Amino acid sequence: MEENFLEIRDLKKSFGTGEAKQDVLRGMNFTVKKGEFCVLLGPSGSGKSTLLNIIGGIDTPDSGFVSINGDKLEDMDEKQLTIYRRKHLGYVFQMYNLIPNLNVKENIEVGAYLSDDPLDVEEVITTLGLQDHKYKYPNQLSGGQQQRVSIGRAVVKNPDILMCDEPTGALDYKTSKEILSLIEDCNSKYGSTIIMVTHNEAIKYMADHVIKLRDGVVRHNDINDKKIPASELEW
Amino acid sequence: MRNPLIRRIPKELASEWHKYLVIVLFMVGMIGVISGMYVGRESMVSSIEAGKTELNLEDGCFELSHRASPELLEKISSGEKADLKQYFIDKGMEEADKEVSGAIEKELNAKVTKTIEDGVRAQCEAMGVTDEEMIQSYIDSALDENFDSALEEVRKSNEFKEAADKAYEEAHDAVVEAVDEDWDDIAEEYGLNDDFYPVTVTVYEHFYRNESEDNNNDGVEDATVRIFKSDSAIDLASFVEGRAPDNRNEIAIDGNHAKTVGVKLGDKINVSGKEYEVVGLLSYVNYLTMHESNTDLMFDAFGFNVAMLTPEAFNELSSRLHYNYSFLYNVKPDGKAAQADYSGNFLKALITQSLAGDNEIKDYLPIHLNQARNFAPSDIKGDSAGTSIFCYILIAVIAFIFAITISNTIDKEASVIGTLRASGYSKGELIVHYMSMPVIVTLAGAVIGNALGYTVFREAAVKIYFNTYSLPLPKVVWSPSALVKTTIIPLILMFFINLFVIVKKLQLSPLKFLRHDLKRSKRSKARRIPAWSFLGRFRLRVLFQNMPNYAVLIFGVILSEVMLCFGFGIVDSLNNYGDRAPDMVLAKYQYMLMGYKDEDGNIIVTDEESAERFNCINLMYPKETLSLREGMGSGGDEGITVYGISDGSSYVDLASDIPEGHVYISSAFRDKFYIGSGDVITLHEEFGNKSYDFTVEGFVDYEGGLAVFMNNERFIKTFEKKDGEFSGYFSRNEITDIDEQNIATVITAEDISKVTTQLMHSIGEFMNIFKYAMIVLAAALIYLLARIIIERNEHSISMVKILGFKNGEIASLYIIPTAIVVILCTVLSLGIGYFLMIWIFHAFLMQMDGYFAFYMSPLSMVLSVLYLLLGYAFVSVIDFIRIKKIPMDVALKNVD
Repeated sequence: MEENFLEIRDLKKSFGTGEAKQDVLRGMNFTVKKGEFCVLLGPSGSGKSTLLNIIGGIDTPDSGFVSINGDKLEDMDEKQLTIYRRKHLGYVFQMYNLIPNLNVKENIEVGAYLSDDPLDVEEVITTLGLQDHKYKYPNQLSGGQQQRVSIGRAVVKNPDILMCDEPTGALDYKTSKEILSLIEDCNSKYGSTIIMVTHNEAIKYMADHVIKLRDGVVRHNDINDKKIPASELEW
Repeated sequence: MRNPLIRRIPKELASEWHKYLVIVLFMVGMIGVISGMYVGRESMVSSIEAGKTELNLEDGCFELSHRASPELLEKISSGEKADLKQYFIDKGMEEADKEVSGAIEKELNAKVTKTIEDGVRAQCEAMGVTDEEMIQSYIDSALDENFDSALEEVRKSNEFKEAADKAYEEAHDAVVEAVDEDWDDIAEEYGLNDDFYPVTVTVYEHFYRNESEDNNNDGVEDATVRIFKSDSAIDLASFVEGRAPDNRNEIAIDGNHAKTVGVKLGDKINVSGKEYEVVGLLSYVNYLTMHESNTDLMFDAFGFNVAMLTPEAFNELSSRLHYNYSFLYNVKPDGKAAQADYSGNFLKALITQSLAGDNEIKDYLPIHLNQARNFAPSDIKGDSAGTSIFCYILIAVIAFIFAITISNTIDKEASVIGTLRASGYSKGELIVHYMSMPVIVTLAGAVIGNALGYTVFREAAVKIYFNTYSLPLPKVVWSPSALVKTTIIPLILMFFINLFVIVKKLQLSPLKFLRHDLKRSKRSKARRIPAWSFLGRFRLRVLFQNMPNYAVLIFGVILSEVMLCFGFGIVDSLNNYGDRAPDMVLAKYQYMLMGYKDEDGNIIVTDEESAERFNCINLMYPKETLSLREGMGSGGDEGITVYGISDGSSYVDLASDIPEGHVYISSAFRDKFYIGSGDVITLHEEFGNKSYDFTVEGFVDYEGGLAVFMNNERFIKTFEKKDGEFSGYFSRNEITDIDEQNIATVITAEDISKVTTQLMHSIGEFMNIFKYAMIVLAAALIYLLARIIIERNEHSISMVKILGFKNGEIASLYIIPTAIVVILCTVLSLGIGYFLMIWIFHAFLMQMDGYFAFYMSPLSMVLSVLYLLLGYAFVSVIDFIRIKKIPMDVALKNVD
């Protein structure tokens, strides 16, 4: 793994003004290596989603910077940020956010369209176990299946970083484990760096790098030497 | 790789086909109508324009009181003003010479007589003759014998010559002095000191006769037919059907008049007692509408006709010959300003030359002010301009509906948009995606609409114009400008309105979309609403939540109701005018005489007991016209008839003690120009510069025309008429003992109602269709907007269903707010529409001559609101069905 693919330095972010001002990120520092499976762990309000959004270039810090492969996001204008997201990032959200009048395959193609070097759509569909559902529309799928599609849409871009914001937050235990396994597969198969936000402590065992957040600062920054496959996780 | 988002478009079209069908039909209808009108118009206008040169259209015409001598025509053609000063001096000297010569002769005769008489008396006295009888007989015989020689002798004497020369010289000096003294006034009256340049013209004799037409051979006059000769060199006719007459029993008549009164080729019609076979249906290049007089408010294809006879047949007619001359400028004026300038200069020359030539101008009409020529093209152009503006407003409304629909879709798809943006989709790509639907729908509408416009609607437009006006056969013109106006303008409207809304909507950051935080304004607290019942507050929230939808809905309803007011109001106004026609004349019969004396110099009298003499004169009231439509109306100031009314008149009730300089005016004059009691009005002559100031004393309830009333004695004094002179008779009964040759015209209630007859014929049917079209339009608009409101609340509706609300209750929550908005707005729009129509009508009438009040009956007011609400009720039923169909799992499914 390369050194310091993603670098976060002294990142601060607050919302509101005056008495209502709330510091969400209060000077955050850490780095992530390329190909690493990194989990951002913390309770609600710890700033993990805000951090993910800033890394993803869809939110901006008040101070500090995020650098990816040496490029600082703060130096980019809106257009460059869009290109940055297009070229380097894949997003998976807790809500699947699929396009209702496109079928499974088409929803995945929506991601493929954005990449100069996309993965094979059919292969991704097979990898995600959606071959029997590829012509179905989102409202014909279960929550887990929809989340698979949303992962497919993100990974088909062959992104440098796959950003996952509570991807199992709306799923049951069994489906959650399936989804986590898929993300794990994507990490190992396609070499994507994974940054996953979760409040589920158990997930940290499948990660290479665990960053625990609380009150806007990094409380623990641990490298996990003894990864457990997602399928063996229990909670 | 092709953008996969494109695949959404056909799916969206398929899933929302009702909505898009309504929109496409809307666009097809509107674009088709505009396209048809433009292409139809271009075809008509091109054939009308071609007629200008092909049919040798005049640049103007004038009518003289009697036939002009070749010398006078030559002088008029020169465009030079006559030397009026010399004319008045010559005229004065001629009269002075007559007077001096008469006086000299008288004096000479007396002097010679006295010399002879004195000589005879002296001789008699010398001879002692004293008998006076004998002396007188000597005087008589001396006078017989010597008078002439004595007279000749005196004439030859130097003394006489000197005295006569002196008398002539003195008289001539007096004439020159008198002309000099009055010259400033004369120059002012004839505008002789104004800037002037000569406009040379070629003058053509274009005499006509107005005859009586009986087109169904029942012995009753049906129309006045203006007859021209077939060998005319100017203002030719094109034949819609048939040919020109070639013998004394044949006639060609106006095609539109023939169609209007049901005369066909081969029929026989009676003109002033003689039967003619109709061999041609024509369209005279200078009579595209049947305006008998240029100051007519409306043309009259029922009661007026133009026709062509062979010169032989023309000469056999016996009615008064109108010495009408048409002219062509030798150098054509360049532009409208030059046209007006040319005609003004030529008129000055015409006035002075005809005066100097002892002739009198009866009428003068440059072509650019000729209603019979300009009304139709102006209306055709105005129609398409008006219709397209109306359609563009509707397209803008549709564009806003579209924009609201897309705005709602964006709201609904906020998470997806947020995800796509977060994944790297650019704002531009999403804008293009959301713009594609309105552009595709508009393009589809434009393509189908144009296809229909160039075929079906074009034919319909041409047919409508052809049925209304006396037009030449249209030449098919494929107009590229129509294509631009019917495709590019709707596309631009649709494109930019949607682009504006979509760009504004997509300005938000991806994060805001992901968080569904789409409100631009940060309302920190919820809007406070009155402490009504729960359902009341719920409805109010629905109302607030859908403000943009309701804004467009209100605009659409106002537009529809205004148009309904137009549709109902036009028909009502026409009916009202027609119904009141009998009350809109000063007398049941108003006879205008050619002069108050007949050919033998006897005053024209009648035994009709109810007959009452009146005087009248036509003056002009200055007005500024809006440039709404050029070519309609006489183009100049408003013609006002000034009446001199006998004391104690039984036709016009005037106070007996009107102060000097004070007059009464007709209610139509008052209402058209907003004149109040005590205001001073200034009227001026049409062909002279003399003007008169009058103070308005009161009003006469007379809507048939713009008129001023004054006491007859004061009329005679003011307008320097002779004592006992009068212009005509008012009468309750028909006057049968006045020779028709002495009657210029008879005005009856029928003349008033002809305006409405013609208009009802031209637009009555169209207006009825228009009314229903407006109701459908309003219903379609409400359908589209109400649908958006329900679509937007689908989730909430589904949720309240889960909570246990019944369909009826839910419908009342979501339909009642719309119902309240529609009802309030419709009632309000009635007021807006009514007063707007009054204003538009008035503005339009300022362009025209005469007065015609806008009227809408209470029943029509109620119906216009009711029809709109019925349209809405129909939409509500569809809405209710839609609410019923919303499944409960919408609220539970998490598919976004």
